[in-house]
Amino acid sequence: MSVLDTPVDAKIPDIGLESPPLSLSEMAWRRFRRHKLAIASSFLLLFLILFTFGGALIYSEADANFNDTTKRLQAPTAEHPFGTDTIGRDILARTIYGGQISILIGLTAVIVQVVVGVIIGAISGYYGGWLDSLLMRITEAILTIPTLFLLLVMAKFFSGKVPDLNFFGRTFSGSVVVIILIIGLTSWPRLARIVRAEFLALKENDFILAARATGTSNTQIMFKHILPNTVAPIVVTATLSVAGAIIFEAYISFLGMGVQPPTATWGNMITGATTYIEYAPWLWFFPGVLILLTVLSINFVGDGLRDALDPRSRPE
Amino acid sequence: MSKRNLFLLLAMILIFSLILAACQTAPPPDPDTPGDVVAPQEPVVDDDPVDDVVIEPEPETPGARKVATFIWTQEFDNLNPLYTNMWFSSITQQIWNASAWNFDIDNNPNPVLVTEIPSLENGGISEDGRTITITLRDDIVWSDNSPITSADFVFTYEMVTSPSNIVTTSYPYSLIEDISAPDAQTVVTVFEEPFVPWAASLWQFVLPEHVLRPVFDADGSIDTADWNLAPTVSAGPFVFAEWESGSYTRFVRNENFYDEPAKIDEVFFRFVPDDASQVAALRTGDGDLGTFISTADIPTLEAAGVEVFAVVSGYDEGWFLYFGEEAHPALADVRVRQAIALCFDRQSINRDLLLGLTEPAVTFWDNTPYANPNLSAWPYDPAAGMALLDEAGWVDEDGNGIREKDGIELTLIHGTTAREIRQDTQAVAQQNLAECGIRLDTLSYAPDIYFQSYGGGGPLPTGELDIGQFSSTEAFPDPDTSRWLCSEIPSDEYPDGINDQKICDEELDALFRLQSTQIDFEERQQTLWQIGEIMYENVYWLGVWQDLDTWAVSSRLSNVNISGASPFYSIAEWDIIE
Amino acid sequence: MTRYIIRRILQSIPLLFIISLILFLLLNNIGDPLTMMGGRNPTRPDDRARLARQLGLDKPVTTQYLYWLIGNDWTMIDVDGDGIPDIPGERLGVLRGDFGTSIVTRGKPVSEIIWDRIPNTLLLMVPAQIFILLFGVIVGVYSALRQYSWVDNAVTTLSFVGFSMPIFLIALLSIYFFSVLFQRWGLPNLPANGMFDPRVGKTAGQVAKHMILPLFSIAFIDIARYSRYVRSAMLEVMSQDYIRTAKAKGLKRYYIIFIHAMRNALLPIVTLVGLDLPFLLAGAVVTERIFAWPGMGRLFLDHLQRADGPVVMGIVMILAVFVIFSQILTDIAYAALDPRIRY
Repeated sequence: MSVLDTPVDAKIPDIGLESPPLSLSEMAWRRFRRHKLAIASSFLLLFLILFTFGGALIYSEADANFNDTTKRLQAPTAEHPFGTDTIGRDILARTIYGGQISILIGLTAVIVQVVVGVIIGAISGYYGGWLDSLLMRITEAILTIPTLFLLLVMAKFFSGKVPDLNFFGRTFSGSVVVIILIIGLTSWPRLARIVRAEFLALKENDFILAARATGTSNTQIMFKHILPNTVAPIVVTATLSVAGAIIFEAYISFLGMGVQPPTATWGNMITGATTYIEYAPWLWFFPGVLILLTVLSINFVGDGLRDALDPRSRPE
Repeated sequence: MSKRNLFLLLAMILIFSLILAACQTAPPPDPDTPGDVVAPQEPVVDDDPVDDVVIEPEPETPGARKVATFIWTQEFDNLNPLYTNMWFSSITQQIWNASAWNFDIDNNPNPVLVTEIPSLENGGISEDGRTITITLRDDIVWSDNSPITSADFVFTYEMVTSPSNIVTTSYPYSLIEDISAPDAQTVVTVFEEPFVPWAASLWQFVLPEHVLRPVFDADGSIDTADWNLAPTVSAGPFVFAEWESGSYTRFVRNENFYDEPAKIDEVFFRFVPDDASQVAALRTGDGDLGTFISTADIPTLEAAGVEVFAVVSGYDEGWFLYFGEEAHPALADVRVRQAIALCFDRQSINRDLLLGLTEPAVTFWDNTPYANPNLSAWPYDPAAGMALLDEAGWVDEDGNGIREKDGIELTLIHGTTAREIRQDTQAVAQQNLAECGIRLDTLSYAPDIYFQSYGGGGPLPTGELDIGQFSSTEAFPDPDTSRWLCSEIPSDEYPDGINDQKICDEELDALFRLQSTQIDFEERQQTLWQIGEIMYENVYWLGVWQDLDTWAVSSRLSNVNISGASPFYSIAEWDIIE
Repeated sequence: MTRYIIRRILQSIPLLFIISLILFLLLNNIGDPLTMMGGRNPTRPDDRARLARQLGLDKPVTTQYLYWLIGNDWTMIDVDGDGIPDIPGERLGVLRGDFGTSIVTRGKPVSEIIWDRIPNTLLLMVPAQIFILLFGVIVGVYSALRQYSWVDNAVTTLSFVGFSMPIFLIALLSIYFFSVLFQRWGLPNLPANGMFDPRVGKTAGQVAKHMILPLFSIAFIDIARYSRYVRSAMLEVMSQDYIRTAKAKGLKRYYIIFIHAMRNALLPIVTLVGLDLPFLLAGAVVTERIFAWPGMGRLFLDHLQRADGPVVMGIVMILAVFVIFSQILTDIAYAALDPRIRY
């Protein structure tokens, strides 16, 4: 029993009674469309992705790293629309490249989360028994430690242990990999529980019993037969987790234990901001607002997806 | 369980937490509250009507109490000098405790508990440099009026070297072969070998035997003595009054001080978590003194009428080039090292990022008599740097902007600690060196990981980096260091060695060994000048900036003098004018 | 019920054991506390070896964990480095309530260091929770009763903004506005950091004044979220048969709302508070950092940065116990308040 099952938000879809039979995806799309904020947010999100990835066409990475110490801490002007930072780098260019890393961290951390969460949830739910107890105890243990504390401890644990990496001709600080790993490795428990619950409910269904009777292997049953039926809650949780991952990256980097320069992220651009609250508010204002907008639009889209794909579930 | 009981239970939990929270605001605990609930209260708080002392005038003195508020960005870890090496705590020694001597504004030793500074002339130092004799003043007393004698000094030695005390460092006391106190005013120490850097490290504190001996005899250690966190008996112009974790520590005037009593009534240390809070407090006049002011904040502070002092502390920031087997082969060539010095625009960093308060450091000992005056910083001259690189055979043949030789690209790895100014310097250096065809990959680490020894897998001594950047002086204001001795090169057999750069230069090694035995000042100075020149020409160490300690002092404080080695040496003379 | 509680408590023992094991392994490798022992100078090699021995850091991880768990007073330890054990250990171990001694602040037991700070954190968090609850309920009930009005829509949108807002952004914005700009405009401005002004001393008025901005920042994020829960719970309850019956009976509107509907709608909220409180404590890390509040979050950061394992371990273990405790309490509360649930 947990509060998660508490009836708090009653969004019972009222479609599909009189209308002609619709395919699943058509029905989902109809439901998603009804969520106006989710539609608006999809556009905002698209704009933010265009800003960060399309902006790279206008500003090169060299522009983002070019420094001129004589032009430090300049307020926004036509030349530098977002102002300059402590060594005279253009903040607009850095928010573009920092945004790429922030969004990349959000997405890849969730991939780690989904892979670990689905595997553990599936094994736990499907096999049950002592394996289930053990895995669920570990899941519970991780859920019991307040996330930010665990993340900071792990950030310290891995710091300096991963070398810099080169991808597509760009150098990524090893700390990016660390952040992706630790966010992924601390956020899977919730997903694992959801997947486990779905597996528990589905494994006694007739079609599974039939598959088992025909000698289908366990792995095949788990991943070919049961998993496709649990996609909806996974997609919803994963979408909302992207927002969570971006916020957590920002928190860790803000506290100075996350992604290290020269790689910029929206979070580490704010690291020293407390020193400049007054004299250089543009240092923290632009990256901060970009984080807010990104997280906000992902949350709305996630909410819309929940209504569309998984109408029975409730917000936490 | 009925609903009523449950609501009662929840209400009680809420009240319990409120009481706990309230403990902090209301000084006298409510007598009706069950005792165990308020137990965590600090007893010191109750003895003293804290809140009133700070605001209300004392009945016996006319006018308001003179309280100087110091804003500290780090809280003391421990006040006992044996147990702390934290700068913020160590420097308070001159406020409430006393050393045999301290250092004045020119960093010259100045007698405090002793009658004079030991020297060859007055017989304080023996001819062989092994015996150091100090003579104490006969009028010195602890704040509880009991006399300070040579027994306290011997006791201090005993505590530092006792294996059951977990002290931060036993240097230089572990080098003492014999200690004796022929009479109540004389302490004789005999070192195993001639010990030249004594002034900077010996008798920088003394412990009250009559307070701590009973603790040591009872517990077998003074690790957990109350005195460590509440040194109510001490020898300085002020004496400890109260410490509230996370918030403040108060020192009040020592009424039994053996010298001219302090002019200020109280020194109030307020702990804030970062520079921003410190600056805010100083600007609004909530604080009278702060330190480690970030250069970005200096103009604002000065605009608010706060004076900023730059004090030489001997800690010069520099690049430590790595010479171990795993090092980039180019670093073995002195021309490449010189090219790095010429291509790195340290002048701009000092001028723009440090607001011109400092200059590029030339030697490891800038601003001391041991800095060779004939040297001046390598200029910023990329053309000359590139010529040297060409000459050394490092040329960009494939046109990718990075020079190479024998198929190896000139890519160096630079690592430092995660501090804004250092990370900013990395970014500037990266761009500077790229213009000369040197690629600099930059890394930054948490300080406790970055400074790990070879045995602990530290990035510099294990060769993960080609260049490290930090500041370090072992015994300021004394120039002694074993950092560049061949015997200090760490290895699997000797994992704690401190020659992180793994430099072994026979000539340098011999000179360093020589200076550590030279009792005569001028001879030693000549040796260190020679060392400075070798290090400069070979670019073993490349100074980036002279690390000055910045102090912000409000206009309320008068007669303020701050020295680099013992900042509060004259605190008793400071005054407050409204 | 009693059996259920006992079972939950027994289950929490292996859980805490697993947590402590995971944490201990992590904390053993977060850096070397001895590195920073030398202050601004590197730690001398002989001091390093001596300190490692004296602090027991040279022992294998398993031994260190054992000492942490059950203490070392049953064995002899070597303090002078000659390889021969000299004196009996003095640690009692966590099971006997001894969290060890801080490596950074030696001379002070970890439990004392933490207890010094917990009241400050609670002082911020308990009023914050009360505010959140109070305003959350008022706004939530109001917007439920005016479903689809502009207030309702605004609350729904704001709840997402609050939920998506990184706490440092709202904190920095509120400092910039209420502290910096107000000062610039000559208006009465709020202090941005610390707990009190040392000139005035630690008076209730001072502390209250310094609490406003952090409270506002914490509350902003959660009020909107809570009001959304309250709103949907109210909407659900209002559509129940018994409310319709009550309406049909002609009971007064306020009587229906406050006596029948709200009582039932707020039940799940009570349990939500129980689950949220520990995480509020965790949120303190960032808030206390920005507002210079001397609480547990700052203590955690300070000691984590200096690789002070015992203190970090102590803080996280206390939080874990707190989380488990409030989970059990929440379950009990839920069962007691909702007659449909039986264990």
